[in-house]
Amino acid sequence: MEKNIRVLVANRPRLMRELVLEAFADQPDIEIVGEVVDDAEILASVERTHPDFVVIALENPGRRPTICDTVLRQYPEMRIIAVAPNHKYSVYYWASLKIHSHDVEASEESILSTVRNKTHSAGGPS
Amino acid sequence: MGRPNGPGNATWKAGVYLLAENRLLRETLSRLLQKKTEFRVVGEGAYSDAVIEQVLASQCDILLLDGVTRVHAGTDLIHELLRALPDLRVLLIGMEEEEETFVRAVRSGVAGYLLKDASAMEVVAAVRAVTQGEAVCPPRLCQALFHYIAQQAREGTVPAVQAELGLTPRQQQLVSLVAQGLTNKEIADHLHLSEQTVKNHVHRILRQVHARSRSEIVATVRNCGFSS
Repeated sequence: MEKNIRVLVANRPRLMRELVLEAFADQPDIEIVGEVVDDAEILASVERTHPDFVVIALENPGRRPTICDTVLRQYPEMRIIAVAPNHKYSVYYWASLKIHSHDVEASEESILSTVRNKTHSAGGPS
Repeated sequence: MGRPNGPGNATWKAGVYLLAENRLLRETLSRLLQKKTEFRVVGEGAYSDAVIEQVLASQCDILLLDGVTRVHAGTDLIHELLRALPDLRVLLIGMEEEEETFVRAVRSGVAGYLLKDASAMEVVAAVRAVTQGEAVCPPRLCQALFHYIAQQAREGTVPAVQAELGLTPRQQQLVSLVAQGLTNKEIADHLHLSEQTVKNHVHRILRQVHARSRSEIVATVRNCGFSS
């Protein structure tokens, strides 16, 4: 049996975090390993919970969140999705020698599909 | 008073339309609302040129609108929708805690204003409240509303006129006298100023509000909610 995908949810604002949790709630293959309110706690939470994926906030679309670099430098195998609360899209980040990114629609289907397809793959867009 | 098929009817469900840029937010919030027996989601989408037609066609009772969409659409969207659907209750979500933005939203006719740190359950509770004819606003901003009304009553000035047209309370006072048909000399006597100072004020106001005459000044500031 394949093991569950471990996801750490660290979105802001609170409404977006709760709605991301709602999107993952009924997925039998996804396990929420933690919920982080403050970006400053993300790294410590990653160290503690060992997620496969971290879902964070994208405050300035077009600019990679600093926490993305911090996490991927220490955990290059980590996958990150940054969701812009007020925009149509989110961005998937992964590391392979350097940090790459790929735009994903900010929809339940696209985010779940990215989490499932990328957890055990090489990282790049399929 | 409830409509025949409105809130007074036990089986009635408030029709909610979700207008927000983020599809994930629309989908999940829609699902949370559908789980409640008193709501039905009658439409959802991001802002587009056809949004007014879509909202009107949905015959919704409640419009949930996110802050970014409101900025894209401007206040005209709310004005136009409320003109076409006077019973529509508009609830803004994901808003900043800015007094000026809040007061403008209230002036545009919204029934509720939720800050971006509101929880999903607070959004659902706010939809329920506006459905029942209540207004929803954060307590701190409610204080701003009290202050706004008190200031307007005290000074006879409208902060929005100051914000939108750049007219100071003194200039608004002068416009009020212009609106009463007073001449520059009469205004000067009233305000204990020289006639030349009043002329200079009027000249500056003409430039500031892009008006060509005294009557255009009055019309322009009245459009901003100023009643002399």
